[in-house]
Amino acid sequence: MTTMPSQDATPPEVYVHQEPGVLRKALPWLIIAAAVVIVGVLAFYLNRNMQGRPKSFTIFFVERGWVRFLLFLLAASGVLALTSLLGQRIGMARTGRKISYSAVLGVQLTHLFLMLVVLVAIYPLFYVLIAAFDPRNSLFAFPDFSNPNILYKTGLLPRLEVLSYENFQKLFEGVAIPLWQLVLAGIAGAALTALLILAMIARAGRESEGLNQTRSWIMRVLIVALVVLVFFMGPSQFGGSTNESKFLLSVRNTLLVSGITGFLAILLSTTAGYAMARLRFPGRFQTLLFFIFIQMFPVFLALVAVYTLMVLLGLSNTFTGLILAYSGGAIAFNTWIFKGYVESLPESLEEAAMVDGATRWQTFIKVVIPLSGGILVFIFLNQFIGTYAEFILANILLTGVEKWTVGIMLLSFTQGQFSTKWGVFAAAATLGALPIVALFYGFQGYFVGGTVSGGVKE
Amino acid sequence: MTAIPHPPHSTVRSTVPPEGTRGVLLAVLILAMMLGGATLLGWLLSGLTARIYPEAPPYMILVYVLGILLVMMPVVSRLFPWIVNWYYLFPALVFLAAFTVLPIILTVNYAFTNYNAVNSGNPDSSLRTTATISADKRVITLAETPQSQNVQEYLRCDTPGCAGATLVLFDDQASVPYRAKVASVSGLQVTLAAPFTGPIEVARATRLNSYTYVGLENFREIFGKASRALVPVFIWTVVFAFSTVIINALAGLILGILLYNKNLKGRNIYRTLLFLPWAIPAVISVQMWVALFNQQFGIVNKGLGLLGLAAVPWLGDPLWAKISVLFVNLWLGFPYMMTATISALSTINDDLYEAASIDGASRWQQIVNITLPLLRNSFTPILLSGFAFNFNNFGIIYLLTQGGPDQQGREATARSTDILLSWGYNTAFASSGGQNFALASAIALIIFFLTLAISLVNFKAAGVFEEARK
Repeated sequence: MTTMPSQDATPPEVYVHQEPGVLRKALPWLIIAAAVVIVGVLAFYLNRNMQGRPKSFTIFFVERGWVRFLLFLLAASGVLALTSLLGQRIGMARTGRKISYSAVLGVQLTHLFLMLVVLVAIYPLFYVLIAAFDPRNSLFAFPDFSNPNILYKTGLLPRLEVLSYENFQKLFEGVAIPLWQLVLAGIAGAALTALLILAMIARAGRESEGLNQTRSWIMRVLIVALVVLVFFMGPSQFGGSTNESKFLLSVRNTLLVSGITGFLAILLSTTAGYAMARLRFPGRFQTLLFFIFIQMFPVFLALVAVYTLMVLLGLSNTFTGLILAYSGGAIAFNTWIFKGYVESLPESLEEAAMVDGATRWQTFIKVVIPLSGGILVFIFLNQFIGTYAEFILANILLTGVEKWTVGIMLLSFTQGQFSTKWGVFAAAATLGALPIVALFYGFQGYFVGGTVSGGVKE
Repeated sequence: MTAIPHPPHSTVRSTVPPEGTRGVLLAVLILAMMLGGATLLGWLLSGLTARIYPEAPPYMILVYVLGILLVMMPVVSRLFPWIVNWYYLFPALVFLAAFTVLPIILTVNYAFTNYNAVNSGNPDSSLRTTATISADKRVITLAETPQSQNVQEYLRCDTPGCAGATLVLFDDQASVPYRAKVASVSGLQVTLAAPFTGPIEVARATRLNSYTYVGLENFREIFGKASRALVPVFIWTVVFAFSTVIINALAGLILGILLYNKNLKGRNIYRTLLFLPWAIPAVISVQMWVALFNQQFGIVNKGLGLLGLAAVPWLGDPLWAKISVLFVNLWLGFPYMMTATISALSTINDDLYEAASIDGASRWQQIVNITLPLLRNSFTPILLSGFAFNFNNFGIIYLLTQGGPDQQGREATARSTDILLSWGYNTAFASSGGQNFALASAIALIIFFLTLAISLVNFKAAGVFEEARK
């Protein structure tokens, strides 16, 4: 190539500056203008909608409170401007380098903005958490108008002295837990604590081979304890007469269904994903297209048919039926993910194994699967969490209280025929969300990376 | 042992599949024959089991099919060694066929019938009557015909002789139904086409509520009432999916860009806290928001009261209910967009910003001219799949508003915040829809095509087809 430079060879890529067109330059501003117009129109309609609505007598109003809020923001920004000026001067004097004032102020204002966002996003959760400990059904309690404290007066905080475990007690009413289950729960709790401590030690920077081995052993103990616990806990242990006394059973049901679905997803999609990535045979492309097309249709589009099918098979109101219905929706996406992963592995490893006389299947089992721990964990977790939060199929297929999953159970608290039990709801929501929140934060790394790359590939 | 090795069958049974379309068709044919054969055998076996053990569960057919397939696989791979490649795909294909493809085919089928709670294809248990069978097991005498003048009306026959209609027979406990074809009727006596051979003592009988094909009737109903259901629901579905993606992406972009600032101390704390709405299962947090949005007691209105604003009817007014849905979806979805932004930003080379700031570009210019154009590549597929997901995001609608509140001039199944899918769900399973399964299937069919169109655009843009062809 280099010896015969021809005339019409394309020149190497050189950046040629092109001044962007007027439209291209104006585009951000046009978008912002359009957004402002849309927001304005919406605000106009919403304002008109609110005209003439009476103020509610259950709510404490601070007249012109928003003016005070804006003044507070202004004052806070002013204080930040001053402190940033001070900080900039001190910093420049100490390091002797030039520090831009706008950068310092920008960081300070970003802090203010992010704190407000966190407040708005997290306060509802905090409020529900408090309500879980409030026996007065406090998501719906009257505020205490006579209290001088503004937070109590508006009802933004329940009175802290009334808090108790009453709501949680209702959830555990009439629950009989045999000794061996308590022991297992104790083992699981201890393993979890040990894992947290190990994670802290690792954070402190003392990473070692022994530490990793201990961690994987504790992990195994935890998983085995939880699996045995979930598998052998049964409806007979829940003798309470109310729905809420069966809440723990619904958590167990959900964990069971999600766990088996996650396992089934791995079982069904790994071989297919491997074949798609490595084997070359006529029909591979067509099958892949078929998988992609199938993936577009959520199972619940065919809800009526799934329901009829399960009734015909005698599997309505069983976990088996629900798991089978989920498995159909789990295959295509996970196959696609696993295929992408196998393609990123170096093919030479498998070739070496095959040269040594291993068959395709042996190569898959002994070379590829041990290398794909991370992606298998991701597939399992993704399926597990997705199934845990699924509502529509479970709602239709599971009709008996003893088979309900968490979502249906929670709905029964708030849409009860005679009363809504918000206190119990809050307690149950807290307990029901815990396993998934723990998984999410525990496997954050896997999850964020996997979801985002999955999202790109989807 | 040392004899010259010669491949005995290699000329006959090739390990290489036939090339091109022939290979594909042959493989599909073999797999379909295996699956079909196994299903047929399983069906026969489960029928046999039901004869011998009447209490055997109907799902035994699944066990039989799986068992037969396991036996068949090595046999078939002896005949066609190259089919082994397909065996890697076989578990996935079997499950897809049973629990995705079959329901889709059934849905298409139901869309052209009058399948509903009344015409369910099941024995009508409410109209059961006492019956006696004659000694030759051919003539059934009914004691009465509930809610009908005569047997013809009771059995809903097309012909006066009732030939070909179905009578359902039970024993004393009325546990297992047995179906029998009718040859003729006279008075209260029903003559069967063949002697009844079931293992039960016939004591009761009822009719079969069969469903019939009605052609395009369901679609005519949907399009006839389009202005009361289909059109407004479709518009809201598109508006909902589109605006929720745009709003979430904007919020995620802003937060992501702010949090990616390396000078910001404590950004991991913010990130961890803002992650929380994503970590809580939506099925729980959406129901939580129902309580928080209550007009009289909800924390949202209490907070607005602190600002001196009137109590907003969040879930009680058609316009505000739409705002609520968008808001809750923003709360649920912004952490994902934020995380996506952060991980996409971390792939951008820092040198670009350095060069730009040396050239004197401001932070805003850097964002508009470097960050956003580079983010576009990774954001396009996320936005498109987000649109496709929200197009069918039934959970949030059902749990937050149940499609409500009511709106003037709409069907009871298609209220102000109903999206297409929840409209279909209401039609089939809510009390307002009267369990009209056929109409719901027709709606599902319409959603199929819309989803197909969206996904095709989606995949084209994301380059999925190119990746598949590799």
